[in-house]
Amino acid sequence: MVEVDAGGKELRKVSEEVKEAISKGEPVIIKNAGKCYGLASGLRGGTVKIVGDANDYVGTVNSGAEIVVAGTAGNFLGDNMTSGKIMVSGDAGHGAGIYCYGGMMIVKGETGDFTGTMNKGATLVIGGNVGHDSGTYMTSGELIILGDAGTNLGNYVIRGAIYLAGNAESLGNNMKEVALTEEDTNRLKKLFKENGFEVDLTKMKKMKKYTPETDKPFYKEKSEDLWEVSTCQ
Amino acid sequence: MSIVGAYCVNLDKGRCISHEEPWKCGICLQVCPESVYVRDEGGNVQIVNDTACVGCRICQESCPTDSLHIKPAESEANTRFIWPSGVVEEIHRKALTGDYSLRGLGTMGPRIPHFDSIVVVPSQLASDPARDKYREECNLEVVIGEETAKYPIRLKVPIIIAGMSFGALSREAKLSLAVGAALAGTITNTGEGGMLPEEPHLAHGFEKADDKEKKWNPGGYFVVQWSSGRWGVNLDYLQAGDAVEIKIGQGAKPGMGGHLLGKKVTPEVAKVRGIPVGTDALSPCRYYDVISFDDLKHQVEIIRDMTDYKVPILLKIGPSRPYKDVTLAVEAGVDAISLDGMAGGTGCSPTVVTQGVGIPTIACISQAAQALKDEKVHRKVKLFAMGGIRNGLDIYKAMAMGADGVGIGAAAEIALGCRTCMACHTGNCRYGLATGKPELSYFLDPYIGGRRIANFIKATSEEIEILTMLSGHDAIGTLTKEDIRALDLDTAAITGIKLIGMEDYYPDYWGKREGKDRTATPLPRVT
Repeated sequence: MVEVDAGGKELRKVSEEVKEAISKGEPVIIKNAGKCYGLASGLRGGTVKIVGDANDYVGTVNSGAEIVVAGTAGNFLGDNMTSGKIMVSGDAGHGAGIYCYGGMMIVKGETGDFTGTMNKGATLVIGGNVGHDSGTYMTSGELIILGDAGTNLGNYVIRGAIYLAGNAESLGNNMKEVALTEEDTNRLKKLFKENGFEVDLTKMKKMKKYTPETDKPFYKEKSEDLWEVSTCQ
Repeated sequence: MSIVGAYCVNLDKGRCISHEEPWKCGICLQVCPESVYVRDEGGNVQIVNDTACVGCRICQESCPTDSLHIKPAESEANTRFIWPSGVVEEIHRKALTGDYSLRGLGTMGPRIPHFDSIVVVPSQLASDPARDKYREECNLEVVIGEETAKYPIRLKVPIIIAGMSFGALSREAKLSLAVGAALAGTITNTGEGGMLPEEPHLAHGFEKADDKEKKWNPGGYFVVQWSSGRWGVNLDYLQAGDAVEIKIGQGAKPGMGGHLLGKKVTPEVAKVRGIPVGTDALSPCRYYDVISFDDLKHQVEIIRDMTDYKVPILLKIGPSRPYKDVTLAVEAGVDAISLDGMAGGTGCSPTVVTQGVGIPTIACISQAAQALKDEKVHRKVKLFAMGGIRNGLDIYKAMAMGADGVGIGAAAEIALGCRTCMACHTGNCRYGLATGKPELSYFLDPYIGGRRIANFIKATSEEIEILTMLSGHDAIGTLTKEDIRALDLDTAAITGIKLIGMEDYYPDYWGKREGKDRTATPLPRVT
């Protein structure tokens, strides 16, 4: 276990210490992280725990590390994560889980606007409420919300699914509600149990699932102008 | 605005095969991207929509009997003022379809100021003597990130290939650009569509990833783009680049994100971008993970960190408020700025945006260079002018206005065979460039294509050498606005270049900027 004190240090210095420890197979604890942006970014593995609150861009392009934030996280948590896991005990700010390609993000508290926007394959679980425009233009993956959602939930999603236990102020374009399958329910229950969420049966029964109406909501194809997929396979 | 109706299409029926033998030939029907031709009930080819002709001349080139001739029509601007037939037809089209028009390439039309209204001042008595192009050296090198990156980029020529995505361009076209960059010693750029596995080693000059010896010397550089859609971005991608370019905007559609219509989203493109096959990939117009300017500064630092401070960070912006934008780009801490002017091209954009949004390229460069001078980083933070760069003359003028180099996009595609038909968005490019259809891109050989691009860059670089040396310089870095003159008042006013015959700056704004004592001005002030 290596302790890194981020207080008063530039990102470059903190990052060097973190990467050196991880290269030796040591778990890392970062203290006084509140003023440092982009901590634990671009890691291919290892375990990093941030004690207390963290600032913006924690775990950007995370590529395999397990990152734990003991307090709250700032904006753009796990920006563009491709693999690994990020867990936050408190709340996270604007754009949590934005642009992610893969991996898992667990936020026990609430998250801000644009949560999970342009998610391309990650599993994002939010224990509390999410802000407006969450799940905008998702192209894959899952956004699971145990609280309520703001306006415009899942605007122009073209693939993937949003699960919502509470209520959304409004749904975005191209969203439709579909029934949860038994497989969905079992998988979600397992996911909640594994990650320490206590979700009762009543809440599970209220859970709604939203998927896109079409994967082509922008420019409509003209019949004479259809592109033949088979020619490229 | 419209360019529709600008060409006369003449069909010589005496030579046309379909008029001799009905239902035969008809190549013009197949190749025309604008549906100018139809076959009538008798099997003869007829011109049905000549106002749609954009003058690409693909039909003329393809006609086996040379029976088609495309000629510019007399300008209707002289006779019909704001209602030429093209404008009328466009309103009819919208009324019929309810669709706005999309197209490829860049701004068209005669009213946009461009490099042609600037001339080069040669060296005679009142300046340093001319240099001999044939017997003396001229330094064309541009270095990016010398003080900030462990591995700076050392360009052999001041010409880089602009970001164009896989998806907008075919696989073969992307690989051609990589080979071309290797042969020319310059940059190729992923654009925002992720990277092909072969691109990095081809750009570096290696035929295969594990080759020890370069096939193409001197070898070039591979730049990866970080953009608003973040397509195909992961740690391997970022660390594969010799630089990372943060794309904020582009000249053809500033304020909008990338448009890749579903027709061009093939299984391979879909895999790279992480979207379903055949769906439109429309990048956001802004970064969802940048709310304030400080966020951008943090992103620059974080990208440097993720790439272990090894490579330069570039920034690409569209033509908006060049002085202020460049000032902010410097504050963000980037090593080079690509400023794409209004004439910049694209694979797809709403026509009204391409035609009417943005600031012309020549009006951007002086403002951008002035911002760098005021920030005391001119020639240190590198400025690349983009948007309608065609030849060494354009490049010389851009550099004399303060750019360190230029980026080419459309010119690189034309070097590969593009005929500027403006139908890139349809995915039916007959030359295998802007298409995802293997039957169209099959004939584009990346090795031959790369050689064509390298030849174009080589010839253009020699043009730059000629012009640099005849104006008394032995390095492009010493060019100044004193080496060029504006041909008209508008150009002088918007660029800060002296007006021919006046030998003075106009208006007074630029005189002050150049640090001149302007106690009197022979021309009225602009109010």
